[in-house]
Amino acid sequence: MRSRFDEQLSILNKKLIVMGALCEEIIGISSDALLNGNSDKLENVKIIGSEIDRMEEEIEGICLKLLLLEHPVASDLRQISAALKMITDMERIGDQAEDIAEIIGFLNGRTGEECKEIRKMAETAIKMVNDSVDAYVNTDLELARSVYSFDDIVDDCFLKTKNKLIDMIAENKTDGEYPLDLLMIAKYIERIGDHAVNIAEWVEYSLTGVHKDNNKD
Amino acid sequence: MKGIINAKNLNLWYGETQALKNINIEIPEKSITALIGPSGCGKSTFLKILNRMNDLIPIVKIKGDIYYNGKDIFEKSIDVNSLRRDIGMVFQKPNPFPMSIYDNIAYGPRIHGIKGKQRLDEIVENSLKDAAIWDEVKDRLKKNALGLSGGQQQRLCIARALAVKPKVILMDEPTSALDPISTSKIEELSLKLKDKYTIIIVTHNMQQAVRISDNTAFFLLGELIEFGKTEEIFSNPLDKRTENYITGRFG
Ligand SMILES: Nc1ncnc2c1ncn2[C@@H]1O[C@H](COP(=O)(O)OP(=O)(O)O)[C@@H](O)[C@H]1O
Ligand SMILES: [Mg+2]
Repeated sequence: MRSRFDEQLSILNKKLIVMGALCEEIIGISSDALLNGNSDKLENVKIIGSEIDRMEEEIEGICLKLLLLEHPVASDLRQISAALKMITDMERIGDQAEDIAEIIGFLNGRTGEECKEIRKMAETAIKMVNDSVDAYVNTDLELARSVYSFDDIVDDCFLKTKNKLIDMIAENKTDGEYPLDLLMIAKYIERIGDHAVNIAEWVEYSLTGVHKDNNKD
Repeated sequence: MKGIINAKNLNLWYGETQALKNINIEIPEKSITALIGPSGCGKSTFLKILNRMNDLIPIVKIKGDIYYNGKDIFEKSIDVNSLRRDIGMVFQKPNPFPMSIYDNIAYGPRIHGIKGKQRLDEIVENSLKDAAIWDEVKDRLKKNALGLSGGQQQRLCIARALAVKPKVILMDEPTSALDPISTSKIEELSLKLKDKYTIIIVTHNMQQAVRISDNTAFFLLGELIEFGKTEEIFSNPLDKRTENYITGRFG
């Protein structure tokens, strides 16, 4: 009786895994360009970005159809509603990676000591995205929960970067554009970390029925 | 919310078969409680015991207690007729009496000693209004109730149950024989009635339980597996067996 429904759920799952992999790929390319000056693949960013957008639409369609036709309850309902929320975060991650790629173009390869924290941020954010997607794929609750703690590292790096850039400006060591571009990049990376946390929270919700944010009194 | 019906360690046997196993449940008043579970799990048995419709069957044996408004319903001093006036029942198949619409409704009040045309007219009108069927039948109150459609007959039966001013209405799969429109009328009616009455409804329709009930009890093989807020049961059941049943993974 459920076989058709189970089949649809497994299709949904596979699509989410593909979308997650695209997110990992797109931030991988952007940060490789930023941190290692490796801009060979930068032109792929737009293509991957639109593929992510397309997948968001497709997965949303699958979810709405399942909600309408199957009236899912319990873990089925949680899995589908978690999927609906996760794709919004994944789509944002794709957009922000695209934004970063665009700004990298303005930097003209210029990087310096002030990028040390940004490197750490980017590496951490990538790990967060990878882990939250993997947690979904492997229904790994512990891995999902481990993502939350990395957010503090990202936030901390963002603050340090901001202070460094303020000093640079105060000491008149730079033109106006460069520190602003870097700050934007840092902010986008920080947001990517937040979206990875959201994804991890939806994975937790899907597996346990408890959403971290709704559980605070 | 205060519990109006309270079952404590309730067991029931039909001869050798145990149909209810150590049921403990407190039903909140002025709300809708849905009873769900596969056929034969004891839902109807539980419903019927609440107004003592099955404890007179010779092979039935009962252990444990049921309290209605704090009073033990198995006590000798309890008047079964007045218990049944307080706790009314609506069955799966609409069962209007083969008499006029008016007499169907007036039947219960008459039995309980109410006389006087004006008084009875009033009860008939109010009951039919409360059951959301007044407009459809007010011009043919003297016609035979068997001429009504299935959905109308079921609302008539609800009106008949309301006519004796009950506190609790038990409904055993009241919409399973009805079309979707009649079903939604009964559902809307139930939601309206819960302001004044406590409703306990057996349903095989999961969506119906979700739509109308405040609390849901899941029975399996005579056991009460899980009882809680409907929203919780259907989004995050605690027991794997509940999960398997409501998601259709059962058996
Ligand atoms: N009058 C009866 N005599 C003997 N066994 C009965 C009687 N009524 C119900 N049973 C048995 O009790 C169990 C519970 O039945 P019931 O309460 O009707 O379940 P449900 O309403 O959940 O389908 C079943 O095994 C059924 O066969
Ligand atoms: Mg039954």
